[in-house]
Amino acid sequence: MSMLFKIAWRNIWRSKLRSVVVIFAIAFGLVGGLGASAWMNGMAKQRVKNSFDYQIANIQLHNPNFALNLDVKKTIDSVNQKIAAIKKMNGIKAVTKRLKVSGMASTANKNLGVTIIGVNPKSEREVFSLYKTIDSVSGNFFETETKNGIVISKALAKKLKVKLHSKIVLTFQDFNGELTGAAYKIIGLFKTSDSNWDKSNVFVRNNNFRKVLGVPANEYHEIDITLNDYKQAPIISKIIQQKFPKVLSEDWAQIDPYTSLLNNVMGVMMGVFMMIILAALGFGIVNTMLMVILERTKEIGMLMAIGLNKKKLFIVIMLETIFLSLVGAIVGELISMLLIRYFGVVGIDLSSMQQGLESVGYSAITYPTLEFIRYIQITIMVIITGILASIYPALKALKLNPAEAIRTV
Amino acid sequence: MSVIKISNLTKIYNKTQVPVHAVNGINLTFEEGEFVAIVGPSGCGKTTFMNMIGGLEEPTSGSVEINETNISALTSNQRINFRLQNIGFIFQSYNLIPVLTSKENVAFIMQLQNKPKNEIEERTTQLLQSVGLGNKINSKPNQMSGGEQQRVAVARALASKPKFVLADEPTANLDSKATTQLLDIMKKLNEEENMTFIFTTHDQRVVDKARRIITLEDGKVISDQIIS
Repeated sequence: MSMLFKIAWRNIWRSKLRSVVVIFAIAFGLVGGLGASAWMNGMAKQRVKNSFDYQIANIQLHNPNFALNLDVKKTIDSVNQKIAAIKKMNGIKAVTKRLKVSGMASTANKNLGVTIIGVNPKSEREVFSLYKTIDSVSGNFFETETKNGIVISKALAKKLKVKLHSKIVLTFQDFNGELTGAAYKIIGLFKTSDSNWDKSNVFVRNNNFRKVLGVPANEYHEIDITLNDYKQAPIISKIIQQKFPKVLSEDWAQIDPYTSLLNNVMGVMMGVFMMIILAALGFGIVNTMLMVILERTKEIGMLMAIGLNKKKLFIVIMLETIFLSLVGAIVGELISMLLIRYFGVVGIDLSSMQQGLESVGYSAITYPTLEFIRYIQITIMVIITGILASIYPALKALKLNPAEAIRTV
Repeated sequence: MSVIKISNLTKIYNKTQVPVHAVNGINLTFEEGEFVAIVGPSGCGKTTFMNMIGGLEEPTSGSVEINETNISALTSNQRINFRLQNIGFIFQSYNLIPVLTSKENVAFIMQLQNKPKNEIEERTTQLLQSVGLGNKINSKPNQMSGGEQQRVAVARALASKPKFVLADEPTANLDSKATTQLLDIMKKLNEEENMTFIFTTHDQRVVDKARRIITLEDGKVISDQIIS
């Protein structure tokens, strides 16, 4: 068997130019496929991460009827006790509580519908990273005790034509169903990569907001939980649901199906994408191997004559095809690894399309990333392609009549 | 004892409108240790006859029995395995595996036979030395002359310890010095290993070394001469 491996491997290098052309065709095909996959994967990962870091955390708890229309009366009671119990569970990283109502943000220039989120700044920072998106000249995320301070996005500020330290008025329905409102001073301007979300969410302190809203003490609209491993969210969410049957516990995939879709479908998409590339390369490999069989007809005849049986002949041709494909795959994967690592650090800057990308929640600068397992999967796919591509040429070789093949010039 | 028994062997090619009788009812036997030359003009059916003895072509009718096995009745894969165990081949254009060294070319056959590693090593070295190529064991075919390549082919043909060796025009591409060397080696191996050699040839020097000369014409044996 070792001699068959030796013959197959050495056969690749008999026609160096042809083999190098095939190897680089495979390599560049894979660079294209892996590069594009890493880019898409990076975009999706950033989108998912942004969603966790700024918008939905990993698990959310609500009153089961709250989600329908953000009804201010549909609160969760005994929130502090619930949070204390949740914090004791395994896998919990941080927990925060929020008040959340729909309202209107008004300035002298404009009125816009927004979701007003009352936060506890300390625990909010432990769960969400929105504070990190506020640069040094854009204020802060409730680091100072400013009465009636509000944090809004730069995008909303631009729309409302206000700036840091400007005042805006929030109008909303209180706990008793009365329309109420308060004036707030902008103390921070954040900016995430999702401009639509930015424009529709404003943040105020829980303690000030509760007074105006009239929500009873220890009642909140939302509990947000971040986990040590987001993949554990479905399991932990179920446990929480069993523990607190009167509240609705949802993991991130239930809260934001689009994020879930991105997370799940990306692997399948990359797989399909690579299969299409490999199928195209496969036809090239078949063509090359047919040429090889044609060129080596005499030699194949001789091998059959001296006693190489059909199974072993098939193995030699298959091994040669696999080796050829594998060398191309290794070259392609190495180049891809270097490129992905480089662009994973410096990023791919699509600032020219920033507006469009951010309107659908993607960052203008993407950092391509590809898990190591993908390289292993691709290598396996290339080996399978090699095996499949060898079948037709090998069958052609097996059909040769040794006596006629030997007579070939 | 007859190594090969050929009965009424016929091969008709129907590829053209007029059928061609390449081999026409040949009856022959070959004994162990014979050194046989098959001669005759071009197109007389020598190569077809050899191919059928070697199981490379199926006869239209008749049979080839090697050690009482009718090779015409074997399947294609069985014939390949039968050739591996029983027949050594030497081709006109050497037909070595170009990516293997001379040592690997000789060892390859024994590896196909699943012989033990030490036996392969020992026999490969011994065979290459006996054909005068002890110093070329690591040379690839393109690094050797035609005569040297053909000597490797002889060593390869004998590596499997076959019942007999078929050589189709083994000296056709060799100069006179290489031809003499090759014939001496074949003759020596024939005598030392009691190996049956059957070869087709146009070369009078080869014919002169043969102890039996079979002449074919139009696919028939027209003479079968034992040289004393």
